[in-house]
Amino acid sequence: MEVKDIVDVKTVKTDMNVMNKKQALKALAELLYQNDYITEVEGFMKDIYVREAEGQTGIGSYIAIPHGKSSFVKRIGVAIGINQTEIPWESLDGKGVKGIILFAVGNDNEGARTHLKMLSLFARKLGNDEVVATLLAAKNPAEVANAFA
Amino acid sequence: MKIVGVAACTVGIAHTYIAQEKLENAAKKAGYEIIVETQGTIGTENELTREQIANADIVILAIDVKISGRERFEGKRIIQVSTDVAVKSPNKLIEKAKEIVESNNESK
Repeated sequence: MEVKDIVDVKTVKTDMNVMNKKQALKALAELLYQNDYITEVEGFMKDIYVREAEGQTGIGSYIAIPHGKSSFVKRIGVAIGINQTEIPWESLDGKGVKGIILFAVGNDNEGARTHLKMLSLFARKLGNDEVVATLLAAKNPAEVANAFA
Repeated sequence: MKIVGVAACTVGIAHTYIAQEKLENAAKKAGYEIIVETQGTIGTENELTREQIANADIVILAIDVKISGRERFEGKRIIQVSTDVAVKSPNKLIEKAKEIVESNNESK
């Protein structure tokens, strides 16, 4: 397994067109639900909002990384949305975001060590300016995955 | 200058590793050696050795939670910030580390 395998092209949306955080989270959570990563959209979103309440998940450079551990997660994964326009988000640089990476991680990660390791390496890449620039410029899901290759 | 650090955030999934990457890149760009241990959901990785800590000029703790093994840094110069600071302004943080190390050397 490689880092880019964390990105499932079925849970990537490069033509997202939402107006706010709630719509973005809902759209991405639905993708996770449709592809069998989570068992429930509503419960999962509630758990994500717990982390949102603790501090900013906008890490600057138009990227947000909403995440949290949730018992509604069946398997570890991410949903990625590249929005057409910048939407308001609490962020470290005070700007809005265009690229939203929603992390799905369960409470019990026994047996998921390899995936967890790949997810940490994936997260790490979001700290790299070049990766972020490539990600934001991606035109389709395959290009999104390649940003993490 | 040699730097060792620890990154640890509340959930242990994202900020920890982004902070690690940012600190490493900023230090390398400035021409310093750095090793960053991460304490996340997966556990402790890149664990600092006694030797690495002994040889370090300064310790950067980018942490939002209590970390394990903090006593390892006793007697060292420590900068402690939140992971947010390391993610937002890694270059400034490394610059600050340099200032602290230099002012300390001058006063010796």
